[in-house]
Amino acid sequence: MTILGIGFAAPWLLAALAALPVLWLILRAVPPAPIRRRFPGVALLLGLRDDESVSDRTPWWLLLLRMLAVAAVIVGLAGPVLNPQDDRAGSGPLLVLIDGSWAGATRWPAKMDLLDAQLADAGRAGRPVAISILSRGEPPVFQTAEAWRSRLPGLNPAPWQPGPDQIARMIEAIEGEPRFDTHWFSDGLDHDGRNDLLSALETRGAVRVFQTGGAVQGLLPARFEDGAIALTVRRSAGGAARDVAIVAQGRDPAGTERALAVATAAFAADSDTAAAEMVLPAELRARITRFEIQGERSAGATTLTDDSLRRREVALIAGREDREGLELLSPLHYLEQALAPTADLLDGAILDILPANPDVMILADVATLAAAEQAALTEWIENGGMLLRFAGPRLAASDVSRDAEDPLMPVRLRAGGRSVGGAMSWGEPKALAPFADGTPFFGLAVPEDVTVTAQVMAQPDPTLADRVIAALSDGTPLVTRKAIGQGQVVLFHVTANAEWSSLPLSGLFVEMLERLAVSSALRAPSAGDLAGTTWRPIAVLDGYGTVVDAANLPGVDGPRLAEAPVGPDLLPGVYQSDDRRLARNVLGSDATLAPALWPARIPVEGLTLRAEVPLGGLLLSLAVALLLADVIASLALSGRLGSARRMAAALVAVTLLGVAHAPPAAAQSDDDTLARAATAEVVLAHVLTGDADLDALARAGLTGLSETLFFRTSVEPEDPIGVDLELDELAFFPVLYWPITPEQPIPSDIAYGKLNAYLRSGGMILFDTRDADISGFGTASANGRKLQRLAAPLDIPPLEPLPEDHVLTRTFYLLQDFPGRHNSRDIWVEAAPPDAEQIEGMPFRNLNDGVTPIVVGGNDWAAAWAVDDNGRPLLPVGRGFSGERQRELAYRFGVNLVMHVLTGNYKSDQVHVPALLDRLGQ
Amino acid sequence: MTTPQSLRARSEAEASRLPPLLARAEHLAGTVLLGDHGRRRAGLGDDFWQYRPVRQGDSKRMIDHRRSARGDQQFVREREWQIAQSVMMWIDQGASMRFASRDDLSTKIDRARVLGLATAILLVRGGERVGLTGTTLPPRRGNAQIMRLATSFSTDQPEDYSPPEHRAMIPHARAVFISDFLGDMADVELALTKAADRGVRGVLLQVLDPIEELFPFQGRTIFESVGGTLSHETLKASDLRERYLARLEERKAHLRRLTRATGWHLGLHHTGDSAQSALLWLYRALDGSAK
Repeated sequence: MTILGIGFAAPWLLAALAALPVLWLILRAVPPAPIRRRFPGVALLLGLRDDESVSDRTPWWLLLLRMLAVAAVIVGLAGPVLNPQDDRAGSGPLLVLIDGSWAGATRWPAKMDLLDAQLADAGRAGRPVAISILSRGEPPVFQTAEAWRSRLPGLNPAPWQPGPDQIARMIEAIEGEPRFDTHWFSDGLDHDGRNDLLSALETRGAVRVFQTGGAVQGLLPARFEDGAIALTVRRSAGGAARDVAIVAQGRDPAGTERALAVATAAFAADSDTAAAEMVLPAELRARITRFEIQGERSAGATTLTDDSLRRREVALIAGREDREGLELLSPLHYLEQALAPTADLLDGAILDILPANPDVMILADVATLAAAEQAALTEWIENGGMLLRFAGPRLAASDVSRDAEDPLMPVRLRAGGRSVGGAMSWGEPKALAPFADGTPFFGLAVPEDVTVTAQVMAQPDPTLADRVIAALSDGTPLVTRKAIGQGQVVLFHVTANAEWSSLPLSGLFVEMLERLAVSSALRAPSAGDLAGTTWRPIAVLDGYGTVVDAANLPGVDGPRLAEAPVGPDLLPGVYQSDDRRLARNVLGSDATLAPALWPARIPVEGLTLRAEVPLGGLLLSLAVALLLADVIASLALSGRLGSARRMAAALVAVTLLGVAHAPPAAAQSDDDTLARAATAEVVLAHVLTGDADLDALARAGLTGLSETLFFRTSVEPEDPIGVDLELDELAFFPVLYWPITPEQPIPSDIAYGKLNAYLRSGGMILFDTRDADISGFGTASANGRKLQRLAAPLDIPPLEPLPEDHVLTRTFYLLQDFPGRHNSRDIWVEAAPPDAEQIEGMPFRNLNDGVTPIVVGGNDWAAAWAVDDNGRPLLPVGRGFSGERQRELAYRFGVNLVMHVLTGNYKSDQVHVPALLDRLGQ
Repeated sequence: MTTPQSLRARSEAEASRLPPLLARAEHLAGTVLLGDHGRRRAGLGDDFWQYRPVRQGDSKRMIDHRRSARGDQQFVREREWQIAQSVMMWIDQGASMRFASRDDLSTKIDRARVLGLATAILLVRGGERVGLTGTTLPPRRGNAQIMRLATSFSTDQPEDYSPPEHRAMIPHARAVFISDFLGDMADVELALTKAADRGVRGVLLQVLDPIEELFPFQGRTIFESVGGTLSHETLKASDLRERYLARLEERKAHLRRLTRATGWHLGLHHTGDSAQSALLWLYRALDGSAK
């Protein structure tokens, strides 16, 4: 049932709305519940009577609020639905037929949305659904709608129109099916066999067509006319005047795909054709890979470019500068005539032209070349240039390539050449032999009237047979070719004018030049033009007009490429054969777009989707919100909101408290702050172990040591810093104090990487197992075992117990004991090199250079150093005066340690002082 | 909260802010006992008042020989006449006093106890004798009496409105009555007239909660006394406000008439106000300067 465009799933529930007025009366009659109040002054109230017998009424707006809430519940439960779509409901199987050609690619998402909604409907109705894309010729398979919905994203348009094959296959496939309804998603373009298929479908059940009203636009292949690129846009239906932007896409010099130029084609009203022109420099023109209609996203709105847009640069050089002679005798006349429409001709000296990097250089009867020219030409050919040479009297008379093959000639030549069929010779002028398979000219028809009367003759060589690409009827070579590097040299054994043969007079001459990619054709090649060639796809279009790599697609025969319609076997794209590239576009140069017209009996709908919006949840939420408001309003009216307000305040306070107690952003991890704090002055650092008490003690210990250093030495450290191995940079700290607890976590691999880098770059770690009172170092205590596990991944040199002459014993104070809170002599440092020996008369050995990277001990130094905020010792050491002496020695050890880190082996160098004094002569 | 110790501690704190309070003694009667109150005249007492020449009729025993030996004249040493006043207190312990309208206000009984005990402490420091009306705790001096007062102040009474104790009043003593006076006025009238008959003068302090002066209620409400014995239901509480306030004003006027007739002082204190001001008023009222 539908009321005001809103459908109801359970409309009879709305009858409950009639009960609302009754509810109004009831709510109005019942007074609000009394409040019980303690009030000592009640004695004064006794005997007072109410003026009115009616209590305070519930205010009308509160009643209205409650009524609205109840009404919302009733209406919400009745299941209201906005835009109910029950008109398409049907039963039985449903065939969804999609044209699926490029013409529908632009509006494919809208189509899929509509299809999704229809599938949802069909799923609710329990109808089996088959989706078939006509252009792919898939036979319909009936499945549940849900199964199809999951496959919707995989459906894509094809870059061709449905052809007779596919339609025949579809008609055949639906023959055997039971009755079904059809939803036909048309692309809006007419195609052959559409009416046949429609009548076949109508015999099975109702047909409904979904088709957008908009016209389909297609871009015809670009042509090069009069120095400009001509572009033509077609649309399937005339309509209002509108402008269409055409974008030329290509790679910029950096290799990035981008829009190189934009032209606007204007459709006149009711016209189905619009044209645009692009005038571009040759360089830019050569970069264009495709044209697109802006805003359209289909293969038909994309046209790929090929050689036809790319005008080759051909340099013409003649041996005879015969400007006074007859025009028709000029060796270049026929070449110019043949090439001028399709190529840009260059004129000049060889060395001047080569820097312009022409595609082809034609030497007509040029015999000898200067050494510099030859070298430059050779390099140019090796880089892909094509040298086309024509014979002539000069070449025949010269000794070029006579005895040894000239690098720039494909074959050796016999002296003099030959002439046949002339007045002074026997025989007839020779005709051309048919072009052999495998040569670039294969497939060209040989006209009967082309004869050769003179030619230069090739010397028989082992390689000659491979190099002949065209021969006369008697088997003598007419055109020979040799590859040099990436380029090639081609020699026509006749002149470029009509002196020696009638070849330049024939159309064959132009076709041969085309086949050699000296020129490119102006018109689309016909099947005959391409006979005998095989074309390899380079890049192909998908239905959306996206260029995709052709990958392993098979090659295509030339005639088929020229004439067969695009389809599953012939994808639109760019094809290559030898040096030539040919684009096969969806639309031919004379294509027209005919709109699909449907008989009046077929209902045609647009693609707009009016989604069903269930309103029940919304209304029930509204009811809950209204009831909440009613609760608050009732509380306020009866004066009980005070406590509610207090609760809300408490709630807010709790929330704020939670926010305030949220962990503060890790200030320590702010690298910059740490770096600034650690590098402004010397700073001692300790490793954070995760044990708060121990970390505080280590900090206090380093504070005490820092103050001692400040008072006694020129080292004036700042407050110590606790270092998190995982987060903080270690490089700023000269020494790290690392107290060991059995509970502290093993650092991560990254942290160990940082620690090793720190040790290698001159840092020092003072490991303190803090257990010298209960164990010999490292043997039995949990701390010792933990230290072994912690230090295992570290890059630590061999260690030895601190020798008596170690530099640590004398960097500031002369020490032999290194007590902390405990007094053990087990201190381990880096071992001296094995070759260190005590020199006679020297107090110390000349020990290892550099600073020992680690010092290991268990004397709990931090505890002995630790001071509180007032500078008083934090923990007792020993007993009485001897204990204070031990604390003093602990401080001295700390001073020596920091001095050792900061000055290195400076004190060790004093071993040389006697020698220096001796050398100074006292 | 109202253990004797805590009550005493808070009362001491209140009392420490005022100098020792000397109650005015206007009448001397047989009940007058020797105390610390110098009467600015010669009489019985401990403190020296003056030397005066021997007059006729003085017995020889009265001559102060230490003073007389300095000269030829003979002197009699007179002492100041000293008395101690008795102050009797009554603090309403009824259930109606155990009421506070808001959490941050103290209950009326709490305020009344603190004020009463603070007054007692001041009086004891001034050398007065303080006790309760009735026979339970006769007036005595000394710190031990403070403790006994605190103990008896800390006992609640179950009835909603307890009547003033008017038995065993010591004639010509002073009396302090602290209550909300929301109960039956006949009892108060009886107690006051009886006290006036015996020459007892004193102070009435009415302690009220602020809400009892405002009556900010509306809607359908059932009012109950704190003890639960009385209740009154109304359908529109807001309509009762005017009449309630009129009755409260009438009650105050009645109290004023009574005190004027009997020569007592009447004070009003709200628990929302500072206890210090009430104590100051009590101090001045007992000192006699607050007329």
